[in-house]
Amino acid sequence: MFWKKFLHNPIGMIGVVVITLNILMAAFAPVLATHNPLTINVAQQSEEPSAQHWFGTDEFGRDIYSRVIYGSRISLYISLFSVLVATFLGVAIGATSGYYGGWMDNLIMRVMDAIMSFPAILLAIGILAVLGPNLSNVVLALGIVYTPRFARIVRGSVLSLKEKEFVEASKAIGNGDAYIIFRHILPNCTAPLIVQATASLAYAILAESMLSFLGLGAPPPAPSWGNILSDARNFMMDNAMMTVFPGLAITLAVLGFNLVGDALRDVLDPRLK
Amino acid sequence: MLKFVLKRIIYLIPTLVLVAALVFLLIHMIPGDPAAVILGPDATAEDVASVRQALGLDRPLYEQFVVWLGNLAHGDFGVSIHSKRPVIDSIGERFPVTLCLTTLALIFALVVALPSGVLAAVYHNTNKDYLFMIGTILGVSVPGFWLGLMALLVFSVNLGWFPSTGFVAMWEEFWEGLRYMILPAITLGLFMAAVVARMVRSSMLEVLRLEYVTHARAKGLSEWKVITKHALKNAFAPTLTTIGIQYGMLLGGAVVTETVFSLPGLGKYLVVSIYMRDYPVVQGCILFIALVYVFINTIVDLLYGYFDPRVQYS
Repeated sequence: MFWKKFLHNPIGMIGVVVITLNILMAAFAPVLATHNPLTINVAQQSEEPSAQHWFGTDEFGRDIYSRVIYGSRISLYISLFSVLVATFLGVAIGATSGYYGGWMDNLIMRVMDAIMSFPAILLAIGILAVLGPNLSNVVLALGIVYTPRFARIVRGSVLSLKEKEFVEASKAIGNGDAYIIFRHILPNCTAPLIVQATASLAYAILAESMLSFLGLGAPPPAPSWGNILSDARNFMMDNAMMTVFPGLAITLAVLGFNLVGDALRDVLDPRLK
Repeated sequence: MLKFVLKRIIYLIPTLVLVAALVFLLIHMIPGDPAAVILGPDATAEDVASVRQALGLDRPLYEQFVVWLGNLAHGDFGVSIHSKRPVIDSIGERFPVTLCLTTLALIFALVVALPSGVLAAVYHNTNKDYLFMIGTILGVSVPGFWLGLMALLVFSVNLGWFPSTGFVAMWEEFWEGLRYMILPAITLGLFMAAVVARMVRSSMLEVLRLEYVTHARAKGLSEWKVITKHALKNAFAPTLTTIGIQYGMLLGGAVVTETVFSLPGLGKYLVVSIYMRDYPVVQGCILFIALVYVFINTIVDLLYGYFDPRVQYS
């Protein structure tokens, strides 16, 4: 039922195609790239696009096309793992908080509110300023920042579900708390979780590019899209094309997840149609 | 009403303390000895000891927190390691730039979002509506800072319509200052414009179905009046909450926008301070921006009742 609806949603399908292309680009980066993304070539600095260098070269003579292709790896890696971290933490925190209730619930949710009191990117910047910029710290920072959104969704579902009769019945036959949470409660909140996760993937790609642009993401010379733009910024006057392509790559990647996110919301949550 | 406002403000206190605690804990997340990290590898043992003492790092954690919180309550955000100036003074100098930028971005977002969202709802499921949906989904997908770079390239460097370097404050020379702000504000506000426009569209769609709108039409009111006076006022309440939440996106995005356009605001100050490992400034800036965000969302909550009187002030 769900899949049938989703497959008939043209917006979602366009999104799926865009995401698939992005994943293929990351998986087959060595095949698709025409040059090594890290090789410095002093003889070919800041060149315009040509037959040899499709997107031109940067100030170190590195091939921008190959760097953009490899950049999809970093962007997908960060977005996927940060959303996984956020989902895992969010589900664990939200389920515990909602199921057991009481003062612990109160305290946990106040902390979640406090995290959400920061503009998301700002808190990530703060965490990275302290931990230092590298890939796993970016995953951790974005994971922490997005956790409360997942925790709130799960807690909300748990609160409404735990009073239901089937949970009561499961308790009565002697099932443990963990069993009830995993078997009866969590399966009932997957729909909003999937919608949130897709939206978060789009945000995470944007956030990663912003963080790298500020020098807080993957450390240079890693070819992340934000890094390429940050390099391009200093040589924009000489080589404008250097700025165009990484930005387009980010836009497409984010667009793919946003399209799928929209389609999922339409299919899973008819109220919002 | 007064009781509601007071209650809302009292409710704010635990949130503020927790926000402060998180920012306080940030600096203690530095791997190893914060004092040694701040000073870098060339520091002598005495230097490290003196910084440790200056930051109060030699005392127990809870004591440090209480002292820090007490100082905050007096408006003392610490002292910059680099400039030796009180952090709050530097924030005070730079925040007006950020406030100008985010306010202009907000104005831009609303000017674009309200009419387009309403029109999309009125023309629901027509080509105009589809065009609107395509526009908004692009709006939330394009990275604003990249758009900023492109705008800088096209409108400042190539066409020369806007200055590409330097800065003039709007409060000193309004029109000249505005020229420096237009591109940053538009590229920063675009994301919010798209999010708010979609919210306006969906809340308008919900409201336009209701019977009181049909009733207003049946009374013979003009379509313009039905939409602006009857429908929009009710559709605006959920939109307002979105605006409050999205203001955080503006404050966070301002950090990157200010870096792209070299605006001397709080965001750029934060980034520069991170590079210099000036942690008291990093702490101060992040805390200050979070406080502004909390404050704005409290105001939004209070305004909510005006647009949706069903919210009881009790």
